[in-house]
Amino acid sequence: MIPDWMNEKDTYVPPKKGGAYLYKTMRSMGLIMSRITIQTGSEGKINIPAKWKIIVLLLSIIAISVTNNKTVLLFFAAATLLIIALKPPEVINRIVKNAFASGIIASIFLLPAFVTNPVGRMNNLLVLIKVMLSISLVSIFNHSTQWNHITRGLRCLHVPTVFVFILDITLKYIYVLGNFINEMLTAHVMRAVGKNKDKYGSIGGIMGVTFIRGNELNKAMYEAMVCRGFTDDYKGL
Amino acid sequence: MAFIELKDITFAYDEGENVLSGFNLLIEEGECVFVRGDNGSGKSTLFRILTGISYPASGIYKFDGEEINKKYLKDNRNSKLFHKRVGYLFQNPDIMLFSNTVFDDVAFGPRQIGLGDKEVLARTEDILKTFDIEELRDKAPYHLSGGQKKKVALAAVFALNPEVILLDEPLAGLDKKGRGWLVEFLKEVKSSGKTLIIATHSDEIEAELDGRVCEL
Ligand SMILES: Nc1ncnc2c1ncn2[C@@H]1O[C@H](COP(=O)(O)OP(=O)(O)OP(=O)(O)O)[C@@H](O)[C@H]1O
Ligand SMILES: [Mg+2]
Repeated sequence: MIPDWMNEKDTYVPPKKGGAYLYKTMRSMGLIMSRITIQTGSEGKINIPAKWKIIVLLLSIIAISVTNNKTVLLFFAAATLLIIALKPPEVINRIVKNAFASGIIASIFLLPAFVTNPVGRMNNLLVLIKVMLSISLVSIFNHSTQWNHITRGLRCLHVPTVFVFILDITLKYIYVLGNFINEMLTAHVMRAVGKNKDKYGSIGGIMGVTFIRGNELNKAMYEAMVCRGFTDDYKGL
Repeated sequence: MAFIELKDITFAYDEGENVLSGFNLLIEEGECVFVRGDNGSGKSTLFRILTGISYPASGIYKFDGEEINKKYLKDNRNSKLFHKRVGYLFQNPDIMLFSNTVFDDVAFGPRQIGLGDKEVLARTEDILKTFDIEELRDKAPYHLSGGQKKKVALAAVFALNPEVILLDEPLAGLDKKGRGWLVEFLKEVKSSGKTLIIATHSDEIEAELDGRVCEL
């Protein structure tokens, strides 16, 4: 029943080159996934309802953006630093990284103005600080609130059902699909034992299948929810 | 020295409790080993270690005399040779199929090991015929039924002609005829001297294939 060549061992000497591209893709994908996993948000012992967190977050960001008063900004900066300081080290690391990344991007945008217009320099600095503060607040929120609580909070604040539903499904599926891509890459590497002449084709194939899977999962999930009594009135999963 | 040697293996997914702890396993070349255990007992996890996808937190894994660890597999050539020799059927066949057609997916392995076009064609057709899936040849893998996907994934693994074959739930999703056929096929694979490691919840495969049970 088995073909003849299966009775023998292949003598195979793998080429030295090739394959690095796949490994790199896999590694960066893994990194992204681990970040998403961590952002499920560990809520501390003191549990403020997500509803209030959202309100405070929004008000703070509005206050930070409209104020020109340095004392107010200083107050927010102090409060933000205080909250950050109370977080565990790896969370601090991530929040600070996010803040600096946004700071760098903002500086690039502000650089021309900063160079050409000496009078507005103070204002440019203020904008930079505002950006970094807002981003830090959002990451703090992100790291201290579970996703399902965020969606429930939005629901309490009368954000339209459809919006919350889409947000929730998207958040869940980023993880599911990311995992799927990661597994596909792993399975691919298991068989990619030579020099891949068409490496972009492989990645393209994986992305294509992922897209189709995403669509199907979405549909299947909706159908499964309907079967369990879902009537478009969304109460948060 | 055994062909495959796991010594005092401990493994945990990040932040979780140990899935494997102090685990030992010796497998000789040409042996057939059934890995059994309840859902969540760590069968798939063990396979991930055996195929070098995951590394144990502690303990030693030796394959044909070489210690398989991050450093060893980091060398491109080592990892390619290792993956060529160790084939792995994932529990979920969906993640294994990425090409536009069944033919391309099965031919992927033979093309990778640098066979000529003629030989690739011959091998792929052999395998498609053996698995009785010739009529799926030009179909898109993601539109197949569950059992058909399983067969294509199996064909893709065997097309690479590995020496050690790890099968995670190979019978799941196959119909009665397909299961009977696969058991016969595996019998022949075993008598050709290949090493089989099979995770399964089914007795029919154990009754037919002469093997040893490893309980997790
Ligand atoms: N990627 C993962 N991250 C975290 N934990 C995991 C992961 N994969 C598996 N686990 C956990 O490890 C344990 C063993 O899982 P594994 O998949 O190895 O079980 P299994 O024996 O293959 O089960 P089944 O018979 O259902 O296939 C389970 O408790 C599971 O929750
Ligand atoms: Mg399993």
